[in-house]
Amino acid sequence: MQAFSEWLEATALSKQLFDLAWLWPVCECLHFVGLAVLIGGAGLLDLRLMGLFRGVPLRAVKSFMPWAIAGFVVNAVTGLLFILMQPHLYLSGGIFWAKMGFIGVAGANAMFFETRLSGRALTMSADDEMPWKLRTIGIVSLFSWFAVLYCGRMLPYLGTGN
Amino acid sequence: MSVFRGLQDSAFTNWFLGSDSIWTYPTVLTLHTVGLAMLVGASVVVDLRVLNVGLEMPLARLRPLFRVMAVGFTINLLSGLVLFISKAADLVVAPIFYVKIASICGALWLGSRVKRLIVERADPSLRDIGARQMAAASLFLWTLAIVTGRLVAYFAP
Repeated sequence: MQAFSEWLEATALSKQLFDLAWLWPVCECLHFVGLAVLIGGAGLLDLRLMGLFRGVPLRAVKSFMPWAIAGFVVNAVTGLLFILMQPHLYLSGGIFWAKMGFIGVAGANAMFFETRLSGRALTMSADDEMPWKLRTIGIVSLFSWFAVLYCGRMLPYLGTGN
Repeated sequence: MSVFRGLQDSAFTNWFLGSDSIWTYPTVLTLHTVGLAMLVGASVVVDLRVLNVGLEMPLARLRPLFRVMAVGFTINLLSGLVLFISKAADLVVAPIFYVKIASICGALWLGSRVKRLIVERADPSLRDIGARQMAAASLFLWTLAIVTGRLVAYFAP
């Protein structure tokens, strides 16, 4: 990973992007706006799955998901640009990989919900008690996204790269 | 002015910024981002609903989100005060910091109007009260608050 990081940093693309002085702060701004939209949209579904907002159909909270996904895409693109510009800050630090791990957990959890559980969940009455399986999905998702936020914000202080 | 210089040069600031512990500056900074996610995240959902996303969600059911916003706001007011103290003299002369604070005040005012006029009404007429304009302005102001908040690090280093 060290070798890959050094190779990446030596590429013309990395240097050209890094030389655009405005690109880093612009990506930072977008990354923070993206995180608010992602956690807002995903958090709503998570809270509903945890049993809050009883009486609100799951369909209704799911209609905010395209916005959450848009927030994620913005953050994936800006995040990739951060790595391209300064790979050593990210790739060699354990906290970065912890962040990627939590994104993986959140993603796998969402996929499991979408492919295995959501079909039946959408036919539930809005007033039904949430089954424990769906509550667990909500808790894992909400915890993972805040863990992603924690690792990201603490990265300059916990990361080993410099 | 000397009050702010005094705060920035205080023993507290020296300890807060100079400590090697992750529990001082890094943790307060991270709490400020957690509060941001709760406050702005919940506001975005409310604003999008007023702008016709998720129409099956009754407006009155959005009410618990205002509690999420209140918790997020409290976290950010407290963490923000501590962060302000540690940089007081630089921040009070940075115009962008005032843009951030004004954006937040405007967005909070719009949020309280949305709560009072839309979410707490039994049958609000969204068109009559300019609800969509309020929601769009709220989204704009929160975005501006985040962007200027982030850029404070560059304009008041």
